[in-house]
Amino acid sequence: MGDAPDLSDEQFVELLRNMIMIRSLDGRMLKLQRAGRVGFVGTATGLEASLVGAAAPLLPKDWMWSGLREGGAAITRGLPLFEYVAQMYCNSNDSAKGRQMCNHFQHKGSNYPSWSSVIGTQVTHGVGAAYASARRGEDVVHSIHFGDGATSSNGFHSGLNLAGVWKAPCVFVCIDNGWAISVSSAEQTAAESYADKAQAYGMPGVTVDGNDVLAVYAEMQTAVERARTGGGPSLVVLKTYRMLGHSSSDDPSKYRDDAEVQSWAERDPLKRYEAFLIERGLIDSSECAAQEKAIVAEIDEVIHEQEAAPPFPLRSLVEDVYSEVPRHLRVQFNQFLEVAERRGDATRGDGAFPL
Amino acid sequence: MAILTLLQAVNDALHTKMRDDERVTVFGEDVGPKGGVFLATEGLTREFGKGRCFDTPLSEDGIVGAAVGMAVNGLLPVCEIQFQDFIFPAFDQIVSEAAKLRYRSGGQYTAPMVIRTPYGGGIRGGLYHSQSGEAYFAHTPGLKVVIPSTPYDAKGLLIAAIEDPDPVLFLEPKALYRSLKGEVPEGSYTVDLSTVRTAREGSDVTVFCYGAMVPVCEKAAATAAEGGIETHVVDLRTLLPLDEEAVLDAAKRTGRVVVVHEAPRFCGYGAEISALIAENAIEYMEAPVRRVTGFDTPFPNTLEHHYMPDERRVLDAIEGVASF
Amino acid sequence: MIEFKLPDIGEGTAEGEIVKWLVSIGDAVKEHQAIVEVMTDKATVEVPAPADGTITELLVGEGDTVPVGDVIFRLDNGGGAPAQASSPEPAAVPSAPTAVAAQPEPSGGKVLAVPSARRVARELSVDLGTVAGSGRNGVIRRADVEAAATGGAVAQSSHSVVAPTTAQAQRIPFRGVRRKIAEAMVRSSQTAVHFTIVEEVDVTDLVRVRQKAKAIGAEQGIKVTFMPFIMKAVANGLMKFPMLNGHLDEQAEEIVLPGTVNLGIATDTPNGLIVPVISQVESKGLLQLAAELGDLSERTRAGRVRPEELRGSTFSITNAGNIGGTIATPIINFPDIAILGVHRIVKRPGVVDTPEGEVIEVRQYMNFSCSVDHRLADGADAARFVAYLRQILEEPALLSL
Repeated sequence: MGDAPDLSDEQFVELLRNMIMIRSLDGRMLKLQRAGRVGFVGTATGLEASLVGAAAPLLPKDWMWSGLREGGAAITRGLPLFEYVAQMYCNSNDSAKGRQMCNHFQHKGSNYPSWSSVIGTQVTHGVGAAYASARRGEDVVHSIHFGDGATSSNGFHSGLNLAGVWKAPCVFVCIDNGWAISVSSAEQTAAESYADKAQAYGMPGVTVDGNDVLAVYAEMQTAVERARTGGGPSLVVLKTYRMLGHSSSDDPSKYRDDAEVQSWAERDPLKRYEAFLIERGLIDSSECAAQEKAIVAEIDEVIHEQEAAPPFPLRSLVEDVYSEVPRHLRVQFNQFLEVAERRGDATRGDGAFPL
Repeated sequence: MAILTLLQAVNDALHTKMRDDERVTVFGEDVGPKGGVFLATEGLTREFGKGRCFDTPLSEDGIVGAAVGMAVNGLLPVCEIQFQDFIFPAFDQIVSEAAKLRYRSGGQYTAPMVIRTPYGGGIRGGLYHSQSGEAYFAHTPGLKVVIPSTPYDAKGLLIAAIEDPDPVLFLEPKALYRSLKGEVPEGSYTVDLSTVRTAREGSDVTVFCYGAMVPVCEKAAATAAEGGIETHVVDLRTLLPLDEEAVLDAAKRTGRVVVVHEAPRFCGYGAEISALIAENAIEYMEAPVRRVTGFDTPFPNTLEHHYMPDERRVLDAIEGVASF
Repeated sequence: MIEFKLPDIGEGTAEGEIVKWLVSIGDAVKEHQAIVEVMTDKATVEVPAPADGTITELLVGEGDTVPVGDVIFRLDNGGGAPAQASSPEPAAVPSAPTAVAAQPEPSGGKVLAVPSARRVARELSVDLGTVAGSGRNGVIRRADVEAAATGGAVAQSSHSVVAPTTAQAQRIPFRGVRRKIAEAMVRSSQTAVHFTIVEEVDVTDLVRVRQKAKAIGAEQGIKVTFMPFIMKAVANGLMKFPMLNGHLDEQAEEIVLPGTVNLGIATDTPNGLIVPVISQVESKGLLQLAAELGDLSERTRAGRVRPEELRGSTFSITNAGNIGGTIATPIINFPDIAILGVHRIVKRPGVVDTPEGEVIEVRQYMNFSCSVDHRLADGADAARFVAYLRQILEEPALLSL
């Protein structure tokens, strides 16, 4: 483990608890997917140290812009487990009203904005939002997450470039987990490292052992402080490994070596940190198992609650396109209802719009 | 009252809103000290400083993406894309992000922003300074698409767009930037989005048009009147969301409809007007809906004057539907 | 009881192969416990139990390929009747008010016709202004144009088509209205067995009465012709001789005698023969009939008669005999039982009874030619009917009986 940052005992153990939570949640969600109870899971197994370590130094007023795998990090910052699972079920408890596919979390209360499935678009958003914070003189930092694949996207280049020119108060966090679905990092870029790319945009770039939660914490804290005190943006690359497939639809054995997976399993972030804490005398050897049991029970309880969500109002089909439902959409919806009734379709929802 | 060109009206709108609301932030390529390649943002940096009106790197994707982020975090960005022909790197941000943010987040996140861009032909700009791409964007639920054709409307619609809670693509007909002058009131006023303007009353033929085609249609209508045909000219102004009721009323009024746009015919906006009328007012139609449009080709340089619908072609269509 | 269906494990897989069952029938299992290994074209995965319970049935065997959505095992979770492991049943939508886009007002005075109606009107040479529209907002549909083209085509042989005055040979296309009329004629004559009886009626008194009625009517703005008197007489007659008032329903194999008299009045218009109907004539007074007739005739000639006014006749009257001829053999308006043709009034010498004995006077006569379908009514009935008409009309006061 790297040099331990200055944290309280409680904070050290909290990091472990969060890592266990992410791993357990990943496992449970995958089981739900295999049972046909949720549709899709973007896996996070193996990334626990990166996710938890990068989120922990942020203050509640800071923002986290995200991609596919940051949902667990959002929970550590305040996204309620209930809303997380509701989003996975895409049911009527979902704050996004069941519009997005699974794994597309958001939480206004903890400054975790909605993300789309398009790669890299969040990068420029984060930069614009950071500009706005700076304009108002708030010392808010915008942490902008993306994967190794996204470093090739338009958003990465536009975003880092703009942030450098504007000295925007943001931290670019690249979780390099070795694979963009089936395309390895070596095939993603000819640069020696992703961190090298920061130079091109006029900001510092650093590579960190992404499986060492304390190393991640430390580097992230430096970058966050730099941004908060007007030092501008940085690129922090967290080198870790995606232990499972890209998602529930992907079978990585088709394109990767078992040996590679094995070698990373030996550097498992949970095991490493557990060992560190035991050595420090902060936990005993039964702590992990106990934590896991408690967390799994909590997750299962939330899962069972979600199975009984109320039905969707059909009107949500045409709401939230604009701030008001325009006339043409009200007409469309009413006509749709007429046809549904004529055909005798059993449908859920409410009645027609007044025109 | 001041007599301003359409361009000056745009500039006036920006000055007015920036004074009223410190959240309004203008940025894009060359919009700062230079004042924009058409001078649309002239004087803004001088009056409000680089903090409120500034230049960006050459990055349309970055400009619009950053605008989304700013809008999400409490500013009112009014960004400029120098020519509509260059908007395509930003298409992803407009279509995938700005237009869909409210819907996908269940209303939790919204992007109140304006993207201003000069569009359309008439300046001998060839393929990449003349395009009319409104159809690509009118096909995007969640976005608003607005096109003024007079100085009065340009100022009022732009102010309304800046105040609108949803993302607006504001297409400025560059052919009319300096050629059209009109009375423009001082101070702040709005022209409602999603309303049409009747440019000329008539009872025989209805012509739907927008942007630089409006003066062309007005001229054709005047000539038609000499021949005894009274043409009702309607300036659509907001293509999305469209004032469908007004369009249908105007179509039923005469039963003879012509739609005019510079953009290519196939899958152009005229097809939507035609379908709307066919579905809802076919029984009132005395003649098929005629479209007068640009050719289904890239936009040419030397033969631009043949490509763009002119008074002759519009008049021919008016007479054609009148005698069907 | 949960019937577990094979889920779509990987975004669009259509089927899976059962590799290995990891439990047996009767096993108690926990939620999330792996139950079976399934191979899809994306991956081989373990499928877990959706709830705690006991495995009661394994429905497919190892090696079987199963479509996504098929039930592969049953799990008794103590929940009673079989339920899906997935989302709850949808509930019925509450009835929505039909608040579709408000229907626009019909345009005043403008002829609405769908484009196809216009085309057909051109082809059949129908003036759209004379056609009633049955579509949305009163729009004229193609069917309305076609109906107007055939509308009450009861042309009689006495209704002459003006012969060309030029000596040149002509070839006139046999289509459109002409053809429609031809078809109607053939149909009528090939079904009904036409029997015609002609009665001569002394209308000298009727002429006098009508003059007086005309003056009274004029005060009320009503034009009074002979027709209201004839209609009244016919209606009275048909109440007495109901077997002549109705039509044949061939499908039901019944002769339909409605018991009320709706008279179709054949009217010559710029668009050809149209037969609007005045209903319940037996219950209407003379002036009322005159008013209705006047209004109907005017609207028929102007093409503003409504479709429902062209239907429902039980008996038809035609006075094309006004033009010429003394006797006619009118063609019945299929599928009616009978039709009455009215001829013009002529002056002839007649024998009149006076207290001084029989004298010759100049009298006015009107002939009636009545055709009946001899399948449905007897000649004797027709004779009695026209005799009754003569009786009533020769003594107009008897009309009030």
